[in-house]
Amino acid sequence: MALLTPYSKIPELNTATILLIENEERFQTKLADAIVQQEKDVNVNVRLARKLPLPLENGDSRPRVDLVVFVVSLRSERSLQAVESSLNYLASDYYLGKVCFVVTDARCGTLAQERMLRVRRLAASHHCPVLCAEHQTEEGIAMAAMRLLTILKVSAGLSPMATTALYLSSLTRCAAAPELDDD
Amino acid sequence: GHGSARQVALSPRSRSYGRSCVEPPSLFWQTPGRLTALGQRTPTARGAAKAYNITVRMYTVALLVQNEWKLSYVTPLYRFQYTKLKLYSRHLAAFILAEKQQGVAVEVGMEAGFRVTFSAVFGLAEKEEDAETVFIQIYSKPMFAADTPKMVWRGWLTCVNGDPEYLRSLPPDFVSLPLFCSNGSEYLTARVKSWFGRTFDCSFGSLCLSSATLNWLAALWTGCHPTCDIGYLKLYWSMPTQPTLDVEYTVNPHDAWELWNSICAQDGAEDMVSVEEVQRFMAGLETHLFRHFKIYLSAGSLVKVSTALGSAHQDGKIKIGSSDYITTLLTLLTECALLKTPV
Repeated sequence: MALLTPYSKIPELNTATILLIENEERFQTKLADAIVQQEKDVNVNVRLARKLPLPLENGDSRPRVDLVVFVVSLRSERSLQAVESSLNYLASDYYLGKVCFVVTDARCGTLAQERMLRVRRLAASHHCPVLCAEHQTEEGIAMAAMRLLTILKVSAGLSPMATTALYLSSLTRCAAAPELDDD
Repeated sequence: GHGSARQVALSPRSRSYGRSCVEPPSLFWQTPGRLTALGQRTPTARGAAKAYNITVRMYTVALLVQNEWKLSYVTPLYRFQYTKLKLYSRHLAAFILAEKQQGVAVEVGMEAGFRVTFSAVFGLAEKEEDAETVFIQIYSKPMFAADTPKMVWRGWLTCVNGDPEYLRSLPPDFVSLPLFCSNGSEYLTARVKSWFGRTFDCSFGSLCLSSATLNWLAALWTGCHPTCDIGYLKLYWSMPTQPTLDVEYTVNPHDAWELWNSICAQDGAEDMVSVEEVQRFMAGLETHLFRHFKIYLSAGSLVKVSTALGSAHQDGKIKIGSSDYITTLLTLLTECALLKTPV
């Protein structure tokens, strides 16, 4: 199985790489542009993919990925299914602070709460944070980019406060409340 | 009843890394975000559709059937009394007339007045805690005595198989009829809602049906097929393409039933239908379409479900086709209304 591993390649100086995975390929490009425009001090590489595993052809030339972001659209079931199957292709080391879930359309009134609950349970069982993003406005995209950059800099070891990705993840990871499981 | 207190015990999910002061995130600094009366609980299993024994007058049932109803949820009504229905009728009629004379009306009508009838429909409530259904009809009194009054608006408030724990927890003066269905002009619907709001201190909100609810309906209605011919199973999907692609997927009822039966037969529990079975049923239908047309229905959203027993639209519009399995539909809708009602 072609697992994506976090520590098998040598990191570059003052560089961070983020991998955005989205089945619909709608939010990815806008988010990527916003991320690259916002960050001035660090070199940020943004890589886009539809799903894991990544194709084997360019495997050697790819940089080390510091943060894997799964973008889930709550409007379609397929989005969540694609993410669930992609999770199997990440090495377990990634789940120690280098994976993040971004959810769009969480405020849509006609949707059931069940899909959001499933995302939260999935994130909680993998110890990852869940961010809700607004993908239709400029401000929303900029805000999501800013939040991802904050997490990325910690995951890449570039945070000035000597924070590790694992420590940050223990603070930000999604906690599914016990009563969600009980009933 | 529920005697045991639910303990919120948090078992530490992981040993802290290095520092002992780092604890796993606890609930104490997080608001659980419970915006609705019933929290986030969604049922994982429900009873299979049961045939309805008609103990209600045929005339009233005939009024419910064959009309398109727009759904709303209602918060509990304060001091609503079934003995005062005639009084309420007079008040509502006077209120509508007064509003019209104030110039609030947008409508141009030649009505001399309105006659309102409130009636209680017995037989729909299933459990002891359910309040009886209230049916409201508005007739317009014509200018000339020769013309017959015309029914211009009708609506009903109901509670079928509501969550008993929640209903019992309501203070004594409150009556909960969470599902409100209306048919008629928007203007009159707004007047009726406004009158209810003033008289019983309740509020209304629009009720949209999620795809999960529509999936349940599709499965439950298909399960009725052996005893009552559903005629067809039509699913309407909307795909997020440019321009939007609308898919109307018609399934032969017997084929749908065979698929449903093969899924249910595996589990054995006769009376209860679980959410996994519903998901497998829908997945089966989706894979079938994919095999023929290479379209992933799960990338779009289910907008409408329709059989001969009725139809339900995502926007909160339903049609009741027959009185046979009406309680199943109403139970599901009551639950949706209760889940959406804010605390």
